[in-house]
Amino acid sequence: MRAVGAHVAVGRRNLFLERRRGLLGVAGTAAALLLVLAVGAVFDGAMRQITSYIDAQPAQVFVSQPGVRNLHMASSSVPLDAVDVIEAVPGVTSVDPILFAQDGLETEAGRRLAYVIGYEPGRPGGPAELETGTEPAGAEIVLDAATAASLGVDPGDPVGALGTSWRVSGLAGDLSNVANGVAFVRLDDFAAARELPDTASYLLVTTDRDPTSIVAAIEEATGLEATTHDAFARSERQLVSDMSVDVLRIVTGSAWLVGFAVVALTLYAATRSRLRDIGVLKALGASPAALSRVVLTQAAWSVGAALVAAAALTVGLGALLARTSSPVTLALEPGALLRVAAISVVVGAAASVAPLIKVSRVDPASVFRR
Amino acid sequence: MQALAMRAEGLEKVFGEGDVQVRAVRGVDLEVAPGEVVLIMGPSGSGKTTLLSMLGAMLRPSAGRVEVDGVDLASLTEKKLPAFRARRFGFVFQDFNLLSALTVRENVELALNLAGVTGRAARERAEELLRDLGLGERLGFLPEKLSGGEKQRVAIARALANDPAVILADEPTANLDSKIGHEIARLLRRIASEEGRSVVIVSHDTRLKDIADRVLWLEDGSFRTMSDMATDPVCGMAVERDATTPHRVNDGLTWFFCSTACRDEFAADPDRFSASAEVV
Repeated sequence: MRAVGAHVAVGRRNLFLERRRGLLGVAGTAAALLLVLAVGAVFDGAMRQITSYIDAQPAQVFVSQPGVRNLHMASSSVPLDAVDVIEAVPGVTSVDPILFAQDGLETEAGRRLAYVIGYEPGRPGGPAELETGTEPAGAEIVLDAATAASLGVDPGDPVGALGTSWRVSGLAGDLSNVANGVAFVRLDDFAAARELPDTASYLLVTTDRDPTSIVAAIEEATGLEATTHDAFARSERQLVSDMSVDVLRIVTGSAWLVGFAVVALTLYAATRSRLRDIGVLKALGASPAALSRVVLTQAAWSVGAALVAAAALTVGLGALLARTSSPVTLALEPGALLRVAAISVVVGAAASVAPLIKVSRVDPASVFRR
Repeated sequence: MQALAMRAEGLEKVFGEGDVQVRAVRGVDLEVAPGEVVLIMGPSGSGKTTLLSMLGAMLRPSAGRVEVDGVDLASLTEKKLPAFRARRFGFVFQDFNLLSALTVRENVELALNLAGVTGRAARERAEELLRDLGLGERLGFLPEKLSGGEKQRVAIARALANDPAVILADEPTANLDSKIGHEIARLLRRIASEEGRSVVIVSHDTRLKDIADRVLWLEDGSFRTMSDMATDPVCGMAVERDATTPHRVNDGLTWFFCSTACRDEFAADPDRFSASAEVV
């Protein structure tokens, strides 16, 4: 392996000889990579948040209408009679019904879509912890803190939901995601608002056994869908992921194309402007491999510097967003960064093809021509 | 007899085919001894650059052969030519052709890198060459900060980096003023005389006749007339080997002088001058 600094860094020096052009090339590529990283980070951040309500629940099994294995955009209805049936299943320690709807929360400041959950205060199904205030009493509602901030409401303020007005009694820890807020009301209030006296949306089941061991028993006893906590969360993430994947592919694909174009143009312009230097190098005895190294070094610097800049900007953007009340979270996963780095290498190599061809065609005797 | 540094036999170069065929070089023979300065002159379009390109292993001849240090260039594959060029030739160009992104030292170091010398060894060798040429204070300068003469000295240092047997110079003084051009010419002469390297110069500059051992005239791709030059043993100037030039026979050898004054000085003490002078 050659020692660092063993060779004169012709590639890097030529790339940044015209500093403005070199930096513009890096900046353009960085912008494209920032788009790729940021979109991915928003998606990964959303994926982390999308199951924050589910993740916070102590229930190890979720019972729902047959065929339903998630919350988002789902409609589930189970008879309250099933509570007794499930409680009789060996290993079940508790069964708690919740009512669930996706509804718009309305205030004077605006409207925000939210999961509205009816639960029995003090029992599973509600917020894991409150930042401020109390659990809801009659005609009261608890909002997640980010949703409350976006709607401009504090404890004591009115909020409209389920066709009724509620008073905010407390704010819960951050449960919202980019698409939905989360709100909690009393189970009986929810049932009254929607005229659902004898049904629940989901039954949250706790057990003192391995959850997988009671799923089949619950399904057999009730004819309902029983899903372990992990499988339920997984299903939720998969649904949201499937809904988003096409858009993500279009956006990131476009960003990659832009990045490739910028890198290719930068390298080609850098090579073309230094063709005489290439001729001189050939005349002095540079081998094709040495000249290829010059071009590939420039590609590595262009892409590498852009990647570092884009990663730094993505992290910075995430930190900035975290200081605001925005429900958007940027989560830059190491795996995502490695994936982008690997693709960047391929893009850099592809962008080097035209310059390499140009370099190979330079006639060393051209250095004698004026 | 001393081995030749370079030999060309029957060199030809044809571009194009049929009606548009151009014979840029026709049947050129050339022998260059170690330490000899050969000046090739001729009108524009005479084939000088094409000839230089073939001698420098940058252009394959259509016919004929070139031998450098006993190696036939035709026996080298395309893959081996770059390494051969890096080690056996030094090039000096009209436009200097320094890489503008690299410092003075790095431009010389680069030539060493191309021949496989890297790291500290390359840096030290580059610095040594540049100091020898009076550029010790310019090592970290970029070429744009140098004068024309300084740039050409850097180019010469680069040409000498890998200890080549042959220096090929294309119009080395063309972009330089009279005084600096003269300095560069004397430098090339010194390289040949003191270091035993062969220097082949292609140029329109008649001042270079003063430092050349031989002047060759290339026209329409072939050498027309050849005149040998002798060196005045008293002042070192190049003079025509001609009956009309002041001359003297001493110990069976004929000495040519730039003037009668040098001839008379020689005659006063022949042993003092003939011991160190070149015998041509």
